[in-house]
Amino acid sequence: MSRQLDNDNPTIFAPTASTSTKRIQKGKASLWSEEALLEEDYAVSGYGSGSGSEEDEREDIDAEEVYDLLRSITDPEHPVSLEALRVVNPDDIHVAGNRVLVYLTPTIPHCSMSTLIGLSLRVRLLRALPTRYRVDIRIKSGTHQSEHAVNKQLNDKERVQAALENKHLLGVVEGCLQTADKRGKA
Amino acid sequence: MDVARIVRTQISTAELNPPQELVDGVNNGQVGLLEIVKALGEYLTSTEDEVRLKGLTFLSNTLKIVNPTKINRQATQTLIKFYLSKLDDFDSLPPALGGLTVLSKLSTFDDDAAIEVYKGVVENVNMKAYIQATRHMVYVLFDSLLATHRSALKSMGTSFLNSYTKMVDGEKDPRNLMLLFSIDRVILLEFDVKDHIEDFFDITFCYFPITFRPPPNDPYGITADDLKLALRACMASSPYFARMAIPLFLEKFATLTGPSMKDLQLSIAACLPVYGAEAVRERAGELWEGIKTEILYSSDTSIEAAALSALESLIRTLYPTDQSPAGLAQDIIKECLEILNEPDKTQAVAATKILADIFRSSPSAGKFALSQAFPQLFRQFNSPSVPSHRAPILSTISSLLLAAQSVYTSPDSQRTSRQEQSLEPYLQGILDVLREGLRTDGLKLPALQGCTACVQIPGLWAKEDVEDVVRGLDDILINDEDPEIRLEVVKALTTFSSTHPTIIESLTLPLLFHNLPESAPTSEDHISRDKYRSILSSLQELCVQTALFQTLVIRMTTKLDLLSSTKDSDVNMGKTSNFDDRECSIAYSWDLLHTLQGVINTKIKEKHGDLIRYFDQLVPRLISLVVADIAKGGIYRDRRLIGLIAKIIENLVWELSAEHQSKWIQAMYAAYEQGHWDKVVHDKSKSLCASPFRTGATSHEQDLVALYSASIQGMKADVSLPFSSMTEYLSSKMHWTINVAQDQWQTQWALDMICAFVNKREPDLRDSLETTLENVWSKEVQDTAKELKHMQRGLSVYLYIIKALALLRQPLAYSASERVIDILSLSNLDPDFVAYAASGFSILAQGKGKSHLTAKLLFAQKLWNFVLPRLIEGDKDASGTGRLVYLVAFASLLPLVPASLCLADLNTILPLILRSLSLPDPQQRSNAIIALTSILETATDSKEVDKAIHSHAETMVDSLLTSAIKQDGIPTSAKVRSISLSCLAIFPDVIRFENLHKHKAIVIKQLGKALDDPLRNVRKEAVECRAKWYRYGNAV
Repeated sequence: MSRQLDNDNPTIFAPTASTSTKRIQKGKASLWSEEALLEEDYAVSGYGSGSGSEEDEREDIDAEEVYDLLRSITDPEHPVSLEALRVVNPDDIHVAGNRVLVYLTPTIPHCSMSTLIGLSLRVRLLRALPTRYRVDIRIKSGTHQSEHAVNKQLNDKERVQAALENKHLLGVVEGCLQTADKRGKA
Repeated sequence: MDVARIVRTQISTAELNPPQELVDGVNNGQVGLLEIVKALGEYLTSTEDEVRLKGLTFLSNTLKIVNPTKINRQATQTLIKFYLSKLDDFDSLPPALGGLTVLSKLSTFDDDAAIEVYKGVVENVNMKAYIQATRHMVYVLFDSLLATHRSALKSMGTSFLNSYTKMVDGEKDPRNLMLLFSIDRVILLEFDVKDHIEDFFDITFCYFPITFRPPPNDPYGITADDLKLALRACMASSPYFARMAIPLFLEKFATLTGPSMKDLQLSIAACLPVYGAEAVRERAGELWEGIKTEILYSSDTSIEAAALSALESLIRTLYPTDQSPAGLAQDIIKECLEILNEPDKTQAVAATKILADIFRSSPSAGKFALSQAFPQLFRQFNSPSVPSHRAPILSTISSLLLAAQSVYTSPDSQRTSRQEQSLEPYLQGILDVLREGLRTDGLKLPALQGCTACVQIPGLWAKEDVEDVVRGLDDILINDEDPEIRLEVVKALTTFSSTHPTIIESLTLPLLFHNLPESAPTSEDHISRDKYRSILSSLQELCVQTALFQTLVIRMTTKLDLLSSTKDSDVNMGKTSNFDDRECSIAYSWDLLHTLQGVINTKIKEKHGDLIRYFDQLVPRLISLVVADIAKGGIYRDRRLIGLIAKIIENLVWELSAEHQSKWIQAMYAAYEQGHWDKVVHDKSKSLCASPFRTGATSHEQDLVALYSASIQGMKADVSLPFSSMTEYLSSKMHWTINVAQDQWQTQWALDMICAFVNKREPDLRDSLETTLENVWSKEVQDTAKELKHMQRGLSVYLYIIKALALLRQPLAYSASERVIDILSLSNLDPDFVAYAASGFSILAQGKGKSHLTAKLLFAQKLWNFVLPRLIEGDKDASGTGRLVYLVAFASLLPLVPASLCLADLNTILPLILRSLSLPDPQQRSNAIIALTSILETATDSKEVDKAIHSHAETMVDSLLTSAIKQDGIPTSAKVRSISLSCLAIFPDVIRFENLHKHKAIVIKQLGKALDDPLRNVRKEAVECRAKWYRYGNAV
């Protein structure tokens, strides 16, 4: 044990928020199962035509997709995902137009890791969302002692930039992001 | 033979290996060994170091190479004496050791000699003075002596052990240590080391923990793990170590971290059983403290696992018998239960693991652990301090049940539930909490795990209990909305059905079928649709078992029949809403049939013998549905349903015996060619009375070709056929395909039929095929007077026949394909037709696929090797846009061969692939990207391949980026974008960073655009690809 942990025994939650989607399929997909559509594509295109007959129905980025990007980031103190610690919750993510708002819930009110977790979330979204989005990351109100200070730090472009120029800090963030691609799958 | 002369020449030319002539001489008895020694005399005794060394080396090399039986007792004795006298000579030592090692393996080398040699080495060799290689030779000699004359060395007693520990003391080289550790282990196990244990402790434990890190590109390939394992085996070789080793372990707990801590835990796990209960008990408490810290607090799961195995070893050592577990185990269990008072914390998870570990380690401690844990856990579950505690408590209970199940059902475990009766006192409590869990949201998953564990323990649950639990599971299956939970329930029920199939059949299946709707839900009714889909997916998993499959077939066919009749009246009303209803019914039927197909395919894969019994029950019914609806316009004349039914029929026909098959083909032939349908339909009153191939058949009737085609595709090669002239049959089908078929859908089924027929009946057709092909070519393909569509169909028929033959490696396939290649260069033809011919190579690229065609070994390679050079040549000869068709043909053909074949000739193929990346057609680009992906993924040692992919890396990345991003004016598809992105994601793993460091910024910037792709799946690929490029080149 090299360092005293901030919270050496945090609460772990079962992933009750399942990976299932509440999105409602549009058009053909509402009636036909995925396999049926695949077969149909094959039957229609046959060989040689392959003309890219896809219907370009735009699937907009929604809160669920943003949650998927964040849920499997690892906590800096424990080998556990932010989802399991309920640091990020699907209900605390809001997407409207080109704005994304994420509330994070620290496991304990004096958690010094909140900024680091917030920074990991920011870096992940910085890399994974199109540039047209404006991202706000905030501590869920009433869950942290120094809420304002952390919020300020997380949403100040220059401070974030400065933090990312710190090689050590970036290394830690990269470490947390290693598992981000699991997206809720073990 | 002039031995003296030979020896002289060798030494003077410094050629120190004996010439073959001399070796042969010794082996056939012409030359005695001592003769060679004599001839070497002056060199062996020379005062010049260099000369003496040469002489000795020559002698030792000769010994190594000659037939060992030619070294007789006398020679052995003499040579030993001679070598021993050289041991104190610094330069002569290596060849002397080499010679002695050879001698030590001979049968003429006796125990006395062994002792003499060992003593000689120990007395004369000062190990510190020699380099690694020489020391290694000493150890090799020891190893050899120990292997062949162990008892002699044992008889030396103390003097051997003393001198040995002195000799090997201070060795540091990993290569030597690997050898020494194995020698040490033998001595520790076999010799009486009790009085010398401190010396042995010094020469083994001084290396612990091993921190060795192999240098980069280490040619010896010794890893830290090799050394750790070898040393661990030594440390666990003698119980006498305990006195000194355990304090050392305790001391190391405080200081070690990371991999060394893992090593420590694993070493403890290995050593404790050897050291014995007596020795371990004294310091058991302290050991537990050290182990506990890593289980409760470690953030590294591999260290946690190592610590758990240390704990298991500790408990197993302390409580090997059935007697009640006094002392440490009680303390540990108490401690765990205290932690579990806060069941939602991380440490509770660890405490659960500890309890399960204890259960696995020892029957007595395990039983005690359960007797302590269950009452407390039940109490906590029934009156929790906070409601949210119930889920983790139930998880803990289930984990313990899972541990019990793994112990009692493991094939190599001696422990049985019947014998130990560890769970029996708590059966009621277990059932209560599990049933409660199944009823409550948030507790279902852990409850399911517990149920699955319990039902697998033989004899634990009575039939009534199982029924009770199955009812609970059924309830979730029908009513729960979470698909993940339903999936787990189905898994649980599948486990149940392997032990209690009748219960599933009588309880679960009726309920599931009852809940399938009679008619399709309307298009807006998403909830009902999701519900029936979930029921169907449950059925698909469950009904694979023989007992349950029968029910499925009966119920499904009834359902399908019902759907066919309900919509009868509404069909012709022509309102839009009715069209929707019809579409809904079709989708519902499709889902039902798809479920049936899924079960059938699983049964085929698992080779269930009961499947074909259902052929006559199932297939005529399915055909009836289609035939009846074609006449009256019902839903089963929809092509999607016909296609699916055809696939089911093909797979089932393939499973039939040859005899049964020929009966079936005969019946189909009668129906399709002669209009006698009574043998292939179930309901004869609704059957068609004419051939779908007759002139004047409606387009819907012609759709029936799919079912016929499927039967032919499922046919085996040796089936007897109901018609005499294969050639006539083939040409009638070809004529229909080219001239009669209505559209692409019908043509495709007909083409597949022709391909299958030619492929399977090639021996019957062999004499006429050449003429047949010639006719197609001259009358249908080449005749420019015909319209384009006609020519295209003719060419398709031609290509499908080539495919059928190429699979059999028939020479005709190759000569015929040459004609198609020739077309590519003809500028007088309609360019649309030429382009069609080029992309037609994709037909040949299909290969066998999932079809039931006959394919010979290496057919793909042969075809590839024939076509590719011709395409390359054509490409070279052509100019300007004329080259494009060759590229199209190349890209279309690419899927034919695996990456390994491309790798063999990468310098030719890679440039073609790279050019193909800019083809306009997304399908052809996809082929190129898929080929590129598998080339990059195939690990290879070849320097040439490595060089080729590195030198083209930048071009590849640029082309892939173009394909990955949706841009106006470039034809694209979701598939091509998403595989471009996944291909790009491979680069950071296979291309060295220095080759692409300039591109990192560009790629990241460009991928930013892909993040905004309209399709979610493409965006997902883009995100992960970009994340990999961000990490690219960062030091780990």
